Amino acid sequence: MLIFRKPIEGVERPQMPADVVIVGGGPAGMACALRLSQLIDQHNAAHPDSQLSKENIYVLEKAREIGQHCLSGALLDPRSMRELLPGFEKEAPLDAEVTKEAVYFLTEKSKFKLPITPPPLRDHGNYVISLNRFVKWLGSKVEETGITIFTGFAGSELIFSDDSKEARVTGVRTDDKGIDKEGHKKSNFEPGYDLNAKIVILAEGPRGSLTKQLVNKFNLAKNSNPQTYGVGVKELWEVPPGRIAPGEVIYTMGWPLTTKEYGGAWIYGSKENVVSLGFVTGLDYRDPRLDPQHVLQDFKQHPFVAKLLAGGKMIRYGAKSMPYGGWWAIPPVAGNGWMILGDSAGFLNSARLKGIHLAIKSGMLAAETAFEALKKDDSSAATLAAFQRSVESSWIKEELWKVRNMHQGFDHGFYAGMFHSALQMVTGGRGLRNRYPGSAGYQHMRKLSDLPTDGGAEADLLGPAKGDGKLTFDKLTDLYHSGTKHEEDQPSHLVIDDTNICNTRCVKEFGSPCQNFCPANVYEMVDDASQANGKRISLNPSNCVHCKTCDIADPYQIITWVPPEGGGGPNYDGM
Amino acid sequence: MPDTILVVVEQREGKLNRVSWETITAGQAIAATTGWTLEAAVVGASVSALAAEVAAKKVAKVYTVESPKLEPYTPDAFAAALKQFLTTKQPKLVLMPHTYQVRDFVPKLATAMGRTVISDCIGFKHENGKLVFTRQMFQGKFAADVSFASDAPWFVTFQNGAFRGDKAEAAACAAPVEAVSIEIADGVIRNKPQEVFKEAKQAVDLTQAEIIVSVGRGIKEQKNIEMVKQLAEALGGELAASRPICDSGWLPMDRQIGSSGQTVAPKLYLALGISGAIQHIVGMKGSRAIIAVNKDSEAPIFEIADYAVVGNLFDIVPPLIEEVKKAKAGS
Amino acid sequence: MKQVPQKDAPLKLNETAAWIRDDVSYEVNEPDAFALEESLRQKEKHGGEVVVITSGPARSQQVLREALAKGADRAIHLEDNAFVGLDAFNTAKAFAAAIKDEKFDLIFTGLQSDDYGYAQTGVILAELLGWPHATIIMQIEKTDTGIRVKRELEAGFFQFVDMPLPAVLTIQSGINKLRYATLIGIKQAKNKPIRKVPLAEVQSAIGGNLQKIERLYVPQKTKKTEHIEGTPNEIAKKLVDKLRNELRVL
Repeated sequence: MLIFRKPIEGVERPQMPADVVIVGGGPAGMACALRLSQLIDQHNAAHPDSQLSKENIYVLEKAREIGQHCLSGALLDPRSMRELLPGFEKEAPLDAEVTKEAVYFLTEKSKFKLPITPPPLRDHGNYVISLNRFVKWLGSKVEETGITIFTGFAGSELIFSDDSKEARVTGVRTDDKGIDKEGHKKSNFEPGYDLNAKIVILAEGPRGSLTKQLVNKFNLAKNSNPQTYGVGVKELWEVPPGRIAPGEVIYTMGWPLTTKEYGGAWIYGSKENVVSLGFVTGLDYRDPRLDPQHVLQDFKQHPFVAKLLAGGKMIRYGAKSMPYGGWWAIPPVAGNGWMILGDSAGFLNSARLKGIHLAIKSGMLAAETAFEALKKDDSSAATLAAFQRSVESSWIKEELWKVRNMHQGFDHGFYAGMFHSALQMVTGGRGLRNRYPGSAGYQHMRKLSDLPTDGGAEADLLGPAKGDGKLTFDKLTDLYHSGTKHEEDQPSHLVIDDTNICNTRCVKEFGSPCQNFCPANVYEMVDDASQANGKRISLNPSNCVHCKTCDIADPYQIITWVPPEGGGGPNYDGM
Repeated sequence: MPDTILVVVEQREGKLNRVSWETITAGQAIAATTGWTLEAAVVGASVSALAAEVAAKKVAKVYTVESPKLEPYTPDAFAAALKQFLTTKQPKLVLMPHTYQVRDFVPKLATAMGRTVISDCIGFKHENGKLVFTRQMFQGKFAADVSFASDAPWFVTFQNGAFRGDKAEAAACAAPVEAVSIEIADGVIRNKPQEVFKEAKQAVDLTQAEIIVSVGRGIKEQKNIEMVKQLAEALGGELAASRPICDSGWLPMDRQIGSSGQTVAPKLYLALGISGAIQHIVGMKGSRAIIAVNKDSEAPIFEIADYAVVGNLFDIVPPLIEEVKKAKAGS
Repeated sequence: MKQVPQKDAPLKLNETAAWIRDDVSYEVNEPDAFALEESLRQKEKHGGEVVVITSGPARSQQVLREALAKGADRAIHLEDNAFVGLDAFNTAKAFAAAIKDEKFDLIFTGLQSDDYGYAQTGVILAELLGWPHATIIMQIEKTDTGIRVKRELEAGFFQFVDMPLPAVLTIQSGINKLRYATLIGIKQAKNKPIRKVPLAEVQSAIGGNLQKIERLYVPQKTKKTEHIEGTPNEIAKKLVDKLRNELRVL
């Protein structure tokens, strides 16, 4: 019997008042906290008789340590960091400055370099960073200014004033700790706290669980395109010296994907012979048997990649989803007592494949609005709407407007997409019309009965990778290198609405794609003679790397990812 | 006068702890490479019978370090007694097995003498006239070679199983036994221990098992575990499992071996129907000997196995149980 | 309490191969977390003050913060990089010097550290202070004359021991469920005092290390896999032969 995590009932929860609660200690959340602190310090210096306090401003971070769940390629456009902390380059952990970029189109055995690097992918002036290390550093700066970061605590649900459409978000409830697999309290049970906050800022990263709750409750997405996502599967490698220079950036498209899938790879040279590489697969592929981790293993077998990695050692693995929908998929980002930042909102430039700088900028703008709201002691929808306006008049909009139709243009395959994006580049993003419609990725998934049994052109991307143990790895081995650990004795945090659908319908219609799209072996169909189809869904929740792919890609949309007990998750040291 | 190695054996209630033979073997090995003299000591209230047992091994001399105050064991008494003895005897090297009891008093003894203990060693090296002792660090991820930077006596404790007790060389004729009488003043002993008793342990501690028989997915169904249980019993070992078996509830969580369960290093690890995913391997690769049975010749478990059986465990386990029973009955 | 590299962290040797590289994630030594839990339970039963002490560089303060967040009252930090390389003997000497003006009744340590695994510091400290001690303790009860502890022995045996106070105890792991720090606990911890003890203050008490790590290395496995073949009966016989004559477990 699968027991799913839900907030425990009938228990008195400790109440804690707060001015601002920022859910998520990633680049957006940390930048927001830091900027808010700067504004308060400035204010206090100028107004000694009407001081604002930082005592009740909190950042909630579900990982045990700051930055532990942060994963990205990553390339940082320093634009917003320079605004936040002029001269930051002198103290931030930047691995290398980008010196060289190349974009390749791959076939199985060869590669064709694009003669001109498309402008969005020109990275001179950007830095190769480890997002994990960068956020650790940024977080230390936040703590130095006196803002409390609670690590090991997840925002598990939003607290509303009432059930109406005009309800206010009045706070965040943290995770219940010490609940066993059956949902009962253990001897060290601690109920989640109710943080009653004037302003709740959601910076949960892609497909945030509280963001999803908020969007659903107020139907916030009614005027936007559905958000679409890709999943990035990453490995960090140590290679023999001389293979790739620090700051060398390579992007690829084409093989191993066919023209029907969206995605591509990155390879970044970092310092000390470390290489960051990964493959992003759009979560709108057709064949439910496609396995994004398998795609990465295939990619590594391309001669030029195999040569780069030969004799090297894979030191870390991870995966994370990212929002591709662009400007039209961003819901309203401010309301009655709430604001949404970064990837949770969808501030990612899918043409440049960058979102960290936008996350940081959104955090800064939200901080400015929050500051004004604190001064006035008014965090109503009207006041917080200033954030919406400032985003729309900032370079966030400027940048995202130009690529607003980028991903949607690929809805009909690779060549159509290239055509549209070229067109969009010369028309300031318009392409054929101002707003291309979008569709949710899972709707593209076809039933097995509509697909060739052997997988056709996609055959190599389907099913689990076997791995040779040296260059390529099976999923379990890769997963071990993600350092993922959770308290074992807790309810499953992958909440499935109706497991009968898994056991009776999905297994026949789609062949249980959860086994394939999850990069962490959380989902397994095990033999069960008592089931009509002989198989039953079984979960290994403690393998979860918190990428949210399942919540996004499940064709029936019956999986809801909620945060497990705080402190658990991957350990993305150096990622 | 060549330097002396002194092995302090362990006894409880008149019986020698078997692991002491391993320490004798270690002492003999070090004596062989260094040319030092090997002696032994038995500590307790009345230990001459035990000393005679030890004297049957190839050692130069056996001491009985006796005082009525040494029974029952207390760290105060043992440290005081041995400090007295060692201060006069001045051996170069003092060896003991790394038992719970030794852990309880030898750091105190060494400190009282202004010396140090390199504990839980798995071996030694004699390089360029220098003795270094090898021990595991970071839970087996690394090994360290450690040397003494202080004067003698040097204290070393050896890990269970680091040396073979059955390889302790017997003597041609019994070694002389010398009685050492010890004075322990009143007030030295501060602890008052009560009777030792046995209690049914709530959870099984696989880290203490010498033989572990472990099952993985290859067992297919819960009811098949019964057969493996019989094998474990026949061998006198403990039953364990890889994660999926415990996740399914076929065996309790405290029998799980691996990165999310226990880490073990028994004398023998028998892996039945276990593929050898890295999450499991890290929990048992330190085992002294690994026998793996799996249908799949490419199963990663075979990379770390000493003995590999590519075959169906359902065919192999029943005759194995029979042969083990026969062997045990016969001997 | 001790801060050690995270259990699953990939560790690398430093340039001299005498120690590991510092750039890994750290956590509290798990056995020490059980010692802390036991001390907090004793405080809940009998009142009093729980003080936590650690030695190490600035990063090890995290261990103290977590302990304060769980309910410890104050902390002592022997802060200096030099403490990392000290052996157990000198670490215990440093602690003894740092606490010379305190009036503790009980000192708890964890069973052993997850990095060195020596299991000595607590026992050495007891000898330096001249206090009685007991190791691998499962239970502690207060008595009129001091305490009665339950000691774990090998092979499923146990023993009760009566001891006077003050005393040093090394606590067995797994005896209690570890409590979680609460948000309020974390907030309150910020205002709890951490006394910093610089190396200079205890320098005179410590000396050179009495033992030296000559080198640290990845253990090499020279494993040759022997395949056992034949019919199941033949295999069974061959295995038993190995078990008896080569592995000596029968």
